Amino acid sequence: MRTPPRLVTVWCPDWPMLAARVPPQRPAAIFHANRVVACTPAARAAGVRHGDRRRSAQSTCPEIEVLEPDPDRDGREFEAIVRLVAELAPKLEVVEPGWLSLAARGPARYFGGDQAVADRIVAAVGAWAAARGVPVGQALRGSADRYALGVGVADGRSGSAIAARLASSRDGGTLVVEPGGTPGLVAPLTIGWLRELGEADADLVDLLGRLGVRTLGTLAALDRGDVLARFGPVGAHAHRVASGLDDRPPSATDPPPEWWVEHPFDEPVESLDTVVFVAKRLADDLVSRLAADGRVCVRLVVIVETEHGERSERAWYRDHGLSAPAMVERARWQLEGWASQPGGLSGGVALVRFVPDEVRPDDGVQARLWGGRSQADHDAARAVVRLTGLAGEQAVRVPAWQGGRLPGERYRLVPAVLVDLERADERLERGDGPWPGAVPTPSPAVVPREPVVVEVVDADGAPVRVTGRGEISAAPAVLVTGSKRQRIVAWAGPWPVEQRWWSAEQSRRIARFQVVTERGVAHLVGVERQQWSILATYA
Amino acid sequence: MTATVRVSELAERLGAPAGGGAALGRRDRTLPVAAELADLLPEGGLVRGRIAGCSGPAAWSLAFALVAHASQAGAWVVVVGAPAAGFEAAAELGVPLERLVVVDVEGGPSVWAERVAAAADGFEIVLTAAPAGAERVARRVRQRLQSNGVVLVAVDPSSPSVACDLDLATADVEWLGIGQGWGRLMARRVGVTVAGRRMPRPVRRSLLLPGPDGRVALAERVDRAPDADDGDGGAGTVIALDRAG
Repeated sequence: MRTPPRLVTVWCPDWPMLAARVPPQRPAAIFHANRVVACTPAARAAGVRHGDRRRSAQSTCPEIEVLEPDPDRDGREFEAIVRLVAELAPKLEVVEPGWLSLAARGPARYFGGDQAVADRIVAAVGAWAAARGVPVGQALRGSADRYALGVGVADGRSGSAIAARLASSRDGGTLVVEPGGTPGLVAPLTIGWLRELGEADADLVDLLGRLGVRTLGTLAALDRGDVLARFGPVGAHAHRVASGLDDRPPSATDPPPEWWVEHPFDEPVESLDTVVFVAKRLADDLVSRLAADGRVCVRLVVIVETEHGERSERAWYRDHGLSAPAMVERARWQLEGWASQPGGLSGGVALVRFVPDEVRPDDGVQARLWGGRSQADHDAARAVVRLTGLAGEQAVRVPAWQGGRLPGERYRLVPAVLVDLERADERLERGDGPWPGAVPTPSPAVVPREPVVVEVVDADGAPVRVTGRGEISAAPAVLVTGSKRQRIVAWAGPWPVEQRWWSAEQSRRIARFQVVTERGVAHLVGVERQQWSILATYA
Repeated sequence: MTATVRVSELAERLGAPAGGGAALGRRDRTLPVAAELADLLPEGGLVRGRIAGCSGPAAWSLAFALVAHASQAGAWVVVVGAPAAGFEAAAELGVPLERLVVVDVEGGPSVWAERVAAAADGFEIVLTAAPAGAERVARRVRQRLQSNGVVLVAVDPSSPSVACDLDLATADVEWLGIGQGWGRLMARRVGVTVAGRRMPRPVRRSLLLPGPDGRVALAERVDRAPDADDGDGGAGTVIALDRAG
């Protein structure tokens, strides 16, 4: 069996917080799909962990500040780290903002060993972060004044990724695993690491756990053929990772050069949207050509040149393969990062080129588990691109779940070109558990983006008031919308809800009612500080 | 409860066409609708290239229910120029949100026509609240719908601003499960009247929209409990569905 390449991995678990320049002492977290994806050391010290649900994080740490995820900012800001590390070793690849890796061999020879490379990276990133007000490194015992950073050196991509994660909680922030030592490092780890590394989904990890496979070593001890037969390619991949063998076998042949796709602009363009739009077409083109051949691109080199001959070249790696939206997202990060650097790009973009540097057979891990891409999916994806070209990316959007107790906040809209339309579960996943205090189903079919101010009065024409204890002054009798008065024939409520009770400035108390008017139209109305409004209509 | 829906969902997940045969083949003249709605429509489904209008107090729910079946079978739905459309209600009525895209229209009828026409190039179902004056620019939209075999559903509580091949009007709404200070909205009885150029006379049907399971259901066979005044207010007992088949 092939020896996996020796790699250095740099890993910053709370990168989004650093990108947002949140001081480590401030308790704050960023959520995605209702789960913590990044938090500050202060929040961590209070007991908040990645993967916690929003409500549990808020009860663990009541003063926690909830920040919006902004993947574009994370990608853009990460360019600074990429540049720092590229000064030490130019051949590196970015897995995601906060996570990059590079071949260890060259720099280790130059700097005198793996440990020396790791130390240099820690020092360089540490200096940058300290200057930015978000220090990284090992915190003093009991204090929460530094973000975690780990640099790991080991054989294979997942081996070095594991080493980097373990390193982040060690003194010095580095961990060098001897050549050939990856299986020994990996074996005692719990099976949950597969999920942590993004190498297997929660279902597989859960199933393995229930079957009694609790450590990676146990999984590695199973016969590879049996694992493949029982769990398919996903299981076989997990088995390789658990054995410390890491990568999928590389493609037998390199991608032929004609698979490069590029777009030279006749007139250099300055608008980022235009470049991203072209990148989307290139990505679609490349992905469909690869797919026709049964392959996916796992390592993509994005090259951008300006009219003045400046050039930005970055390699992007994704173990499961890069889908077209993932390629576009990365090209966008690269461009924005480049533009925001001092001495970055000085003129319009003249050329965009995508080079599939490493392709692998598509073993189905990336594709949807059920079925494939239909003609309808294909047509819709193309129409999304065309509409975006016509109307702009903010005008063509898809719903993404965010949760909440008011109808208007349960879904938000995200630009359709920036998501993978075929992997909708990521954005529509509702997390687990209901939202106590949300209005029961059926849900209103019309949810105005801004509530409509109305009056609700009792039989005597006096405004209906709701006390802090949820008592109403009289039964609602008439709904007054502008000059229109409609009799209320049925109503239920009040259902009080306190929003963001943990923040004095943002806290809101709203009492909600369902009312049905004489014409049979039902509304969800809310009263906040004695001001009534229609939140939604059951149309 | 709705066995047909379950089967179609399963078949869709397994990548097989739902409902037997090549569901949603480009050659099929119609897009399938839920059984409860099929016999209201003269062709038993939504005819490609035509415009259906939904109006009245339950217009949006009816529109979502109308397109749910086709969308479950793989068709994509685009909502154009209707910023207030409620996605959660759409999902509850059976529209899979993974195949729903929202397009804003900031501008007048010509912008609307341009967006709808572009959407019709790739989506099989367009839901839209047509702006006032849309009829003047509707020609281009109609041509595009016909050449691409796309169904347009114009939704407007008053009456759609484009001429429709089929008008589905909702009226006589009655909410179940809620009273004077008790219960909550649970289900809604709606009278739906379908009229159209190709129909000799309008067809009327009483539906639950939504029914107690959130989807559309027939209302004829609903046995009502005695009026809530003399009941104990147990809203759940108001509706007893008895559906054959």
